Amino acid sequence: MVAAIRTESLAKSFGATVALRSLDLEVAEGEVLGYLGPNGAGKTTTIRCLLGMIRPSAGRAEIFGVDAQAHPAQAHRRLAYVPGEANLWPGLTGSETLHLLGRVQGRVDSAYRDELIGRFQLDPSKRVRAYSKGNRQKVLLIAALSSRADLLILDEPTSGLDPLMEETFRECVAAARRRGQAVFLSSHILSEVEALSDRVAILRAGELIEVGTLAQMRHLSALSVDATFDATPPDLSRIPGVTAVDVEGNRVRCQVVGSVEPLLGVLAASGVHQLLSREPSLEELFLAHYGREPAAGPEVSHAA
Amino acid sequence: MRHETGVRDRQAATAIAWATAKRAARSGAVWGALFGVLVLNEALSYHKNFPTAASQHKFAQAFGGNAGLTAIVGAARRLDTIGGFVAWRVFGLLIIVGAVWGLLAATRLLRREEDAGRWELLLAGQTTRRHATVQAIAGLAAGWAVLWALTAALTVVAGSRASVGFPVSASLFYATAATASAVMFLAIGALASQLTPTRRQANGLAAAVFGVAFLIRMVADGVTGLAWLRWVSPLGWVENLHPLTGSEPLALVPIVLLTVGTAGAAVILAGRRDLGAAVLARHQSAKASTRLLRGPAGLVIRLERWVALAWIGGLAILAAIFGVVAQSAAVGNVAVEAIEQQVSRLGGHPGGATTAWIGYEFLYLAALVAFAAAAQISAARGEEADGHLDNLLARQLNRGTWLAGRLGFGVALVLAAGLATGVGGWIGVAARHGGIGLAAMMQAGLNVAVPALFILGVGALLYGLLPRLAVPILYAVILWSFLIEIIGSSITSNHWLLDTAILSHLGPVPATTLNWTAITWLTGLALTAALAGVAAFNRRDLAAA
Repeated sequence: MVAAIRTESLAKSFGATVALRSLDLEVAEGEVLGYLGPNGAGKTTTIRCLLGMIRPSAGRAEIFGVDAQAHPAQAHRRLAYVPGEANLWPGLTGSETLHLLGRVQGRVDSAYRDELIGRFQLDPSKRVRAYSKGNRQKVLLIAALSSRADLLILDEPTSGLDPLMEETFRECVAAARRRGQAVFLSSHILSEVEALSDRVAILRAGELIEVGTLAQMRHLSALSVDATFDATPPDLSRIPGVTAVDVEGNRVRCQVVGSVEPLLGVLAASGVHQLLSREPSLEELFLAHYGREPAAGPEVSHAA
Repeated sequence: MRHETGVRDRQAATAIAWATAKRAARSGAVWGALFGVLVLNEALSYHKNFPTAASQHKFAQAFGGNAGLTAIVGAARRLDTIGGFVAWRVFGLLIIVGAVWGLLAATRLLRREEDAGRWELLLAGQTTRRHATVQAIAGLAAGWAVLWALTAALTVVAGSRASVGFPVSASLFYATAATASAVMFLAIGALASQLTPTRRQANGLAAAVFGVAFLIRMVADGVTGLAWLRWVSPLGWVENLHPLTGSEPLALVPIVLLTVGTAGAAVILAGRRDLGAAVLARHQSAKASTRLLRGPAGLVIRLERWVALAWIGGLAILAAIFGVVAQSAAVGNVAVEAIEQQVSRLGGHPGGATTAWIGYEFLYLAALVAFAAAAQISAARGEEADGHLDNLLARQLNRGTWLAGRLGFGVALVLAAGLATGVGGWIGVAARHGGIGLAAMMQAGLNVAVPALFILGVGALLYGLLPRLAVPILYAVILWSFLIEIIGSSITSNHWLLDTAILSHLGPVPATTLNWTAITWLTGLALTAALAGVAAFNRRDLAAA
């Protein structure tokens, strides 16, 4: 089966600034990939390379097997894109914009488009100039979703949407996934990525540092343990695999990587009164990758 | 602590003025230097070109009474003196360029800032809409002051030469007169920025005011007995200042009143209206009109049609006016001889006075059509810089197809504008029973379109290679070409330099026939440059603003 997206050693530099280093990534048909990274990590640069808007310094990108640089229009036949910033023609109305984008897209499910206009509560008779940021974003979301494209490339698609509309967006992406559409979702909203993605890729300073399912990532990551004792807690910091021990009176919080057996043995022997353990959230995984690391370097202008 | 707060408050009270002044002063300095150099050049070359009293007198006789020329560059006074010569030779041009600079600077630093959302950020600071507008206008005034200062300094330098001999006060008054239209149109641009919801519309409104003022001034100077109309037009007031030929400071009164009045109105309206809104706002909603929105070619028509029609209509009207006044230039006028000589020098065989005059003046129209072409390259760049283009290129559209559509529209506009000047000129001539046929005038129209086609091709190449610099370079090419056309022969005889004037390669049709060799070369080069531009655009990164 041909991958929806495949990059091979994709790299991009803007002058002396390296925005993307040798990215190898694959998104299967029908898969939702969450693409995470702090500002300037290279997310938008990746997307602009995928769309052929900027030329990679090295490597290549394919959309459904078509070279994104050599044949951009052909590569775009099966994809729809929502940019992070909704820059639309201010003098056109919402419905005129949707009409135009549909024509250039090449295919539109008009019934679904009308349904989406209703669900996103967009007034299409207004001029773009009069729309708020969120409403402009809705126009682009509706244009992309109503194309029923086999691949949706979404760059911060919910910026400016209110929580209700964000919920509608999640339902629409879930529906797209059920229909077998692949989704490349670049986002800062970790709960959104967690709820929608099959796999997550984490980018830092232009480098892919982690990619896998959330379950895989959690397996490799620390388990959070919160234990309350009847008396003074024992010293847990010497137990193999236990880190980040934080003692507060009779309460201890720590992280465990690998087997929990040695920890459980100590806890059982020390009169533990209450024990809570949970898998890390995506936010904790994300922060684990960035929180204790140096910042991702200077902001890179993706649009350059 | 109290003291520190006071310092910060004072900074907040002037921060916008400083920021605006810095940007306005930059362009004011460039144009001020150019204005000054033009004046300097004319003043210093006068005695070289007209070494004897007889030659000075002959020139004054030839051009002084030319109604047609007067209608375009303004009435000449005391043309047999160096003051009269300098005032007449570049004054008309400076007034036009100054007014355009003023209106563009004002809309750029007011309405454009508001369109882009930056004004909102400033208004979140310790200021009000009204006060912020006062500051911005003060900043614009500082930009004008730089324009005036450089023009004045170079005029004083020119005037201090023994061969020129302008009193300092006269030089300063000349600089004031030459930049008076700039300050008026700064204020008019500021008011237009309050009245309309986009910069483009503000430019259109201010340009319409300029057009009407120019037409009134033209009629006042061109038609006998209507000289009083000069007092109706702001550009007429400027002419009534009579710099270097017996200064008339009284005409400064309406200029100051208009400037202060419109600037004051802009401030009051800025305080009353909502941020982002406009006094003459369009409806927020509209019935969908999707007829043109089938693809990129239709989109460019939809986006550019009013601008294109304004260019075409404006050029046709201007050509018609040329046609009307051409006849009066031909009636037993000594000037005709001089112009015909000029036409002959350019390689033509004038077929009559009116024809000669039209042929010469149509070269000016060619420069304007070239500006219309450059504006299309600028609009294409704007689509990319504003991120609109991303929405199209992320879909099934090739870059080449998009750029070709844009250039195709540019070609259609340029040809339509050229033919409109032909038809307009023919109507103007026919209205005065002049004897130039429609076919000859259509050829003249086609002729003025050729440099614009060249500009489109070069513009496409620059756009493909240097997106961020393409538009400024392109405007510089046109201005350079125009300047060399006007003053080149008086500063150099180097034919390589003179050949850089695109206009000079075309004959003054209808006084001459179409120069097919030059046309073939220019269009061939344009086509090659355009193809290279499309290829370069295909290979480069899209570039934000």
